[in-house]
Amino acid sequence: MTALIRAELQKLFTTRLWWVLLLVMLLLIALFLGFAIALAGVTQNGAAGLPARDTPQWAQLAWGSGSSGTILVTILGVVMMTAEYRYQTITGTFLTTPRRFPVVAAKLLAGVIAGLLFGVAVLLLEAVTVIPAVILSGGTFSPSASHLPQTTAGLLAAFALYALFGIGLGALVRNQVAAIVGAVVWTYVIEQIFTAIPVLQPVGRWLPAGAAQALMRMDLDAGLGRPDLLPAWGGALVLAGYALLFAAVASATTVRRDIT
Amino acid sequence: MAAVAVLLITRPWGAAARAGADGSSLKRRNPSVPGTIIGPMAAIEIHDLVKSFGPVRAVDGVSFTVEAGSVTGYLGPNGAGKTTTLRCLLGLVAPDSGRALVGGRPYASLTAPLTEVGAVLEATSFHPGRTARNHLRILCTAAGLPQSRADEALAQVGLADAAGKRVLGFSLGMRQRLALAAALLGRPRVYILDEPANGLDPAGIEWLRGFLRHLAHEQGAAVLVSSHVLSEVEQTVDNVVIIARGRLVRQGTLTELTSNGRSVVRVGAVNAAELGPALETAGGAVERVEDGLLRVRGLTAEEVGRIALDRRVALRELVEERTDLQKVFLDLTEER
Repeated sequence: MTALIRAELQKLFTTRLWWVLLLVMLLLIALFLGFAIALAGVTQNGAAGLPARDTPQWAQLAWGSGSSGTILVTILGVVMMTAEYRYQTITGTFLTTPRRFPVVAAKLLAGVIAGLLFGVAVLLLEAVTVIPAVILSGGTFSPSASHLPQTTAGLLAAFALYALFGIGLGALVRNQVAAIVGAVVWTYVIEQIFTAIPVLQPVGRWLPAGAAQALMRMDLDAGLGRPDLLPAWGGALVLAGYALLFAAVASATTVRRDIT
Repeated sequence: MAAVAVLLITRPWGAAARAGADGSSLKRRNPSVPGTIIGPMAAIEIHDLVKSFGPVRAVDGVSFTVEAGSVTGYLGPNGAGKTTTLRCLLGLVAPDSGRALVGGRPYASLTAPLTEVGAVLEATSFHPGRTARNHLRILCTAAGLPQSRADEALAQVGLADAAGKRVLGFSLGMRQRLALAAALLGRPRVYILDEPANGLDPAGIEWLRGFLRHLAHEQGAAVLVSSHVLSEVEQTVDNVVIIARGRLVRQGTLTELTSNGRSVVRVGAVNAAELGPALETAGGAVERVEDGLLRVRGLTAEEVGRIALDRRVALRELVEERTDLQKVFLDLTEER
């Protein structure tokens, strides 16, 4: 099994895709962090926008902005699966390992590892921007006051989960472009609507994004009122449920299908 | 062949190779296909294989075997069911019924398939952004083979210089060689190749022929190679299996196929009028083509020569007309 996981990671790290996606993700999060730093404490039309940089709430908000990188991990997962069909390398994969379930399991575990590595990269970027930003503005950086241990755990869990989501989606759709478009629409349209609009939040909190927010305790008011989230343990359970669901989809669609 | 038998002695189908080599009583008739001789355990066995895709019966009751130490050509026009048969054999496609076995077992139950079977399917099954070496190293990792096998296999197919290049820039011929290198990684004893000559230039085809003959005749491997172009394999194969529209239409040795059981001897004689009746007396069916030229069925060239000698008839010409393989192939596979 370890040989298969190593082979899957070798597949991932022998093409350019991983570092292109990593770079795009870090740039995206740097952009969000830049806005968080620039707009902290600024009042708009008399109403308070983001909390000030020296407050624990700001550090928590800035730390949680890393969750916007999950879309790129989703795409990574989608490509890990669909590239096998697009370039028909799935043939060589199954000729080498005809028992397909271990192949799917190895791919899912490799996806989790890759997702966690991306998550660690995000956390490093956040550490080198958020900590100086707090200290330079005269605040005290306190991980516990900003709930950072929990936010960090939630971020890592979300990155691992969205990699699984991508692999499951890729196994289901198989057409690379369609799967990536699907992932983007899901993340930027459907989940955004359901987690941001208060009326839809009773549904949104059960979606992966809502569950990840619950786990990260991102129950801050970003202008539309405090989101109605599950408790943190509930978010963790929902995320674990989705992980199992995507893994089941990936194996069910792959194990029996004819490779022609 | 003795050396081959010794080499194969530790292999499960070694017995089949030895039986095939000395023609011993181990051979038995396959009851389902008249005229086929199979060993106690052939390297590749296909029994009554059926596979439909929707309403289309891609493979419709195909049976044949491939012995170690021989090259078998699996021939048929495009869409005849060759690729589907091979994919069933390799566990990629689940057959509706029938069995396809490698070394007596289904491919999916092999514990280390790359060390038992080398397969070449489409030439396009590479990630274009990955180097040739990395492509092979991934397979080595998954199969538990040392990473060094990647460079060794690339050298074997003449791609050592391109090892670090992305597959994106590879010609079709180079991709075929890379696919063959993947098949060689585990040093298997059975090779299954689907249209391996596609995209190769004449020099590449010549190289492939030599390589396949080397694998089978010197290393004792069983080689099954499909093609829709007969001339590609004509000089390579020992046995031929012909399929058309999913059904097996003929199998046998190349010689059996070309002689077709009805060999024709063309005789040019100065005194054909005297020779003709003599040949008929000896049991030949004689056809007078033109003045002084006869076509004889039912007698070998040697027999015709002896009769001519007995009658003291001077011959200008004595040729055993082999049926053109291409014509046989077309006759067998065209719509009927």
